[in-house]
Amino acid sequence: MKILVTGATGYVGHELALALANQGNQVHIIVRNLISKNIPRHENIIVYRGDITDRSSIRNAMQGCAQVYHTAAVVKIFSKDPSVFYNVNARGTHNVLAEALDLGIKKFVYTSTCAVLGSSIQFPKKETDPRTESFDNDYEFTKYLGENLVKEYAHKGLFTVIVSLSKVFGPGIETHQISVNNIINKFIHGKITFIPKPISIVSNYCFINDIVTGHMLAMQYGLGGEKYILGGENISYDTFFRELRSLSRSRARLVPIPKVVIKTLAVIDWIKFLVTKKEPFVTVKGIRHIYINKEFDNRKAIQQLHYQPTPFKEALKQTIHFLKPEHHDQ
Amino acid sequence: MTNKKYTLITGASEGFGKALAIECATRKMNLVLVALPGPEIFYLADFIKCNYNVDVIGIEADLSMEENYIMVFNLIQELGIAVNMLINNAGLGGTMLFSEGPISFYKKQIKLNILATTLLTHLFLDTLKTNGPSYILNVGSLSSYFFLPKKQVYGATKSFIYCFSKSLNRELKKSNISVSVICPGNMNTNISVTQLIKTSNWFSRHSVMNPEDVAPVAIDGLLSKKEVIIPGRLNKIFLLMNTLLPSFIKKTLIGRQMNTLKSVTATELKEKTILFTEIQNSLTA
Repeated sequence: MKILVTGATGYVGHELALALANQGNQVHIIVRNLISKNIPRHENIIVYRGDITDRSSIRNAMQGCAQVYHTAAVVKIFSKDPSVFYNVNARGTHNVLAEALDLGIKKFVYTSTCAVLGSSIQFPKKETDPRTESFDNDYEFTKYLGENLVKEYAHKGLFTVIVSLSKVFGPGIETHQISVNNIINKFIHGKITFIPKPISIVSNYCFINDIVTGHMLAMQYGLGGEKYILGGENISYDTFFRELRSLSRSRARLVPIPKVVIKTLAVIDWIKFLVTKKEPFVTVKGIRHIYINKEFDNRKAIQQLHYQPTPFKEALKQTIHFLKPEHHDQ
Repeated sequence: MTNKKYTLITGASEGFGKALAIECATRKMNLVLVALPGPEIFYLADFIKCNYNVDVIGIEADLSMEENYIMVFNLIQELGIAVNMLINNAGLGGTMLFSEGPISFYKKQIKLNILATTLLTHLFLDTLKTNGPSYILNVGSLSSYFFLPKKQVYGATKSFIYCFSKSLNRELKKSNISVSVICPGNMNTNISVTQLIKTSNWFSRHSVMNPEDVAPVAIDGLLSKKEVIIPGRLNKIFLLMNTLLPSFIKKTLIGRQMNTLKSVTATELKEKTILFTEIQNSLTA
């Protein structure tokens, strides 16, 4: 089958394109830079030069495809030029949807984020749970706009499924500065690691292999117009690093950091940004996100998509092996 | 006497109404949530019931239609629910030249903002008296203090709410019912408003408050029987300036502020396509 994957030079899109190609599908991908080192290379992958902000390039790559996985997005906490979020995550999504409807694409899977659902209160958040806090960053807000556009196109007759990912980790290419992989990597290589205090704060972590399969399951079994959380286990920072330490036998120091300290750092970072124009590593607004519980409920995907998330310990083991191969060879 | 007491909130599925519902739930108040037809209100009701351990009933009703006030009232009577707090939040906003708005829109705005508040309050008056001490919170607007261009009808409906609430509060003191009116400034209530605020001037950007930050101020004010609640420091300063500045300065300031605001109505904003052109406009601007 001919399948289009946008965002194939991103972490999730890259692994997804390879998995689909390995199954014998002809995978079309759109890339902005033909010599990017992040392009997935496979005999079944056809590379098109283009950009989701340019409709004709989407049309060119989408022609003849039966299915579309739209994983492309700007994923950052901050950008000097916020319009990039609107151009890519909202307008770009609109372009891909419009072409998909026009070209009669049979099924469309949109990669979104659990961040749109916001923080959890007492129980893990479900797909239909309301967000309780206002949007305070352009990334989450434009992914929310993207979801609304997908719903709008579902009304127009396009068969759409939304998948919401939590914090993804596991083998694959490195595309962000702050990723779960990056944190794991530093820790297992013995570097001092700062974690938010209280260490009892809970987040949801999902394994890249599950995310790739989850996308394909959503394409196969997902009901039109529905949304599915592709998440893993809800675990505290404390449990996360305890598991990581016991599996990797790392002796890295863990330093819990109270909110005030990071806030101060964020202010310093912001001043640095104003002076040097270097994008800040943490922002005052962004801090809120690491000091609240973000638990998600993956039962809908398990029941309706036959999604089977890998146990956290096993996923972590594979990730450590990928990031520090010599560890297991010793 | 053993009966549980309930707080009725209209327009509860999004924005300020949703924030008020969650704020009340954190204070362990049972809720009756009324919102436009659609599954969202039941999702919200379920979510609050599970996460805050209070009782929540969701009712779908379009309060711009008169027959629905009675429907809501009768339904609550049938369920035998004791309401001791009424929050009239449902309302329709809009920023546009008077000539731009269709008559149907103004009719709907007046019905929802004025009629629904007045008649629901009247319908529930006896219930509130029996379940006292009772509270009524009406949602006004800071714009009722300033006679803003492009907010003629909206501002006037909110002035009605302001006068109605203050007068009623004095009248109902003896009946153990307290009436408060909250006059918020700009709020981040729905995505389109968020977008609008991003494109407007310094004051609008800095005075904008998140509904989840306004809600606790509203409920605190209501429970302490404040007649008028003004949330936000900047809004209070703005109001003080309004009483101190000579009128010719105010006129020029307001004129300049409103020129930067694009005309938008809440109904238009339901259509995501319009939102989209707005994004594009703001990007090219």
